[in-house]
Amino acid sequence: MSRDILLEIKNLTVSVKKDGKDFPIVKGVDIEVPRGKIVGIVGESGCGKSMTAKSINGILPRAARITGGSIIWHDKNGEERDLSSLSEKKLRTICGSEISMVFQEPMTSLNPMMRIGKQVEEVLLIHGLAKSKAEAKEKVIKMLDEVGIAEPELRYNSFPHELSGGMRQRVIIAMAVIAEPKLLIADEPTTALDVTIEAQILKLIRKMCEIHSMSVIIITHNMGVVSKICDDAYVMYMGRIMEHSTTERLFRRPVHPYTRGLLSSIPRIGEDKEYLETIPGNIPEIDKEIRGCEFCLRCSDDIQSCFFEKPEEKEIEEGHFVRCHSVEVLRGGSKVL
Amino acid sequence: MKDKLIIADGMNKSYRIGRGKLHHAVRDVSFEIYRGETLALVGESGCGKSTLAKLIMRLIEADSGEIYFDGNKISALSEKDFRPYRRRMQMVFQDPASSLNPRMKIKDIIAEPVRTWHLYESKGEVEERVKELLDMVELKESALERFPNQFSGGQKQRIAIARAIALSPELLVCDESVSALDVSVQAQILNLLKRLKKELGLSCLFISHDLSVVNFIADRVCVMRDGGICEEGNTADIYAAPKHEYTKYLLSSIPQIPQY
Repeated sequence: MSRDILLEIKNLTVSVKKDGKDFPIVKGVDIEVPRGKIVGIVGESGCGKSMTAKSINGILPRAARITGGSIIWHDKNGEERDLSSLSEKKLRTICGSEISMVFQEPMTSLNPMMRIGKQVEEVLLIHGLAKSKAEAKEKVIKMLDEVGIAEPELRYNSFPHELSGGMRQRVIIAMAVIAEPKLLIADEPTTALDVTIEAQILKLIRKMCEIHSMSVIIITHNMGVVSKICDDAYVMYMGRIMEHSTTERLFRRPVHPYTRGLLSSIPRIGEDKEYLETIPGNIPEIDKEIRGCEFCLRCSDDIQSCFFEKPEEKEIEEGHFVRCHSVEVLRGGSKVL
Repeated sequence: MKDKLIIADGMNKSYRIGRGKLHHAVRDVSFEIYRGETLALVGESGCGKSTLAKLIMRLIEADSGEIYFDGNKISALSEKDFRPYRRRMQMVFQDPASSLNPRMKIKDIIAEPVRTWHLYESKGEVEERVKELLDMVELKESALERFPNQFSGGQKQRIAIARAIALSPELLVCDESVSALDVSVQAQILNLLKRLKKELGLSCLFISHDLSVVNFIADRVCVMRDGGICEEGNTADIYAAPKHEYTKYLLSSIPQIPQY
């Protein structure tokens, strides 16, 4: 393999129990996270993007469990471990120090009763990364400075409610990267923030990724976020990866009707349209069984096989994969991609 | 010059934030909404845009300032005298899940304003109106007997819109009405709002933090910051040549999606 891979999700299936029956919500997902790169998983609510991320560090909600596939973690010395089969105790030694996570709500991720400096310090003390308290404090202040918090010595003693949303998200990022993890999972890290703050936080994540040569998985519903900072992008719909490639290729030449639909339904600045193009219909419920392609009910390109057969993933150009029946047809037909 | 439906003049509102401190949520804001136009208030969280919308609807009372609706001063009216105006201005909120009563059927949710105002003599007429409204928001008649939890977010927002236009209002206030929706659904609702506005000749006060959405839907834009309006103008002009530093900063922060 030419690329240096840190994490490999292979054929991952996650199911939830509903009325005594298993319903898959993540269906045979394959994702590769190269070392030092930012990978984006993009999709609408209920598409399984968060569940995919939560399977990695074993924090799926109780109703959901991994029913198939593996999550391979590649150590630097070439060892491989399947995170999905590790015991909780063993998984914990990796999570927190090697894998950390940033969530959407900066309000609820922090302990309101604890000074922020202490909260960041906790990570160091738990994972034994500081010899003394003084050393830990010094490291925390340095880290707070690095994530762009002004007057870190003063802020060390602040409580979460004294900070703005953007500042809190910076504190959480500080907490997530202070143990120098190899992988940061960010689940909608900027969704609760204003655009100007979003731009700053994305820049910060990019900077952290470069300084600490860390890989990042960003879960988002926002195509703008993907195009701004991700190296690779995966488009998910109803538990399946519909299309994936490098971000640059994906945006230059989106192929899957769902990706194209998503991109054309976003209002853009500098465009004067009477009406937006839309994807008709709604996202089906998870317990709806669909025999063919998950997207066939809302797709404009449907051909007969879409309704009866699951499409396989096809490589349409180097490193650009699409799961769609009409790709072959489109290729041979008159439609220009 | 077109008719002015709403004139807001020198609006102020502050909130007490404890220990005698005041937070100026809206400071000296004046603007007007012409008939048939969509005016957007855009700004970041805490800039006072929602407070301003509530002031216009008189859901909260202003500290000072005047509001005119269709040439009549409504800011000083008593609750009783103001009531006829309530019918002429309606609101659609951000979260469709919490703005619909979960224990009411869709037909009752949409019929409620019509019944409250005794607009029709017979039950049959009310039913007809509800069906007509459902059709306007592109929902099927089978929705009538169902409850809100049987609908997706986008469908719920359609129901909320049907309820808002049930009384044929002249002003529709949309407070972040598409912010909670997925992109593919958001586009549908935006198209719906635009179409309804055209067909019904609605004026619309559209509140949003999303500049791309505003660009699509608004005729004119007021950019708000710290309770005041820092720039106002035609949508095309503001996006093409923002004058205020803050507008420029806002516009430059939006992640651009390359065109394919």
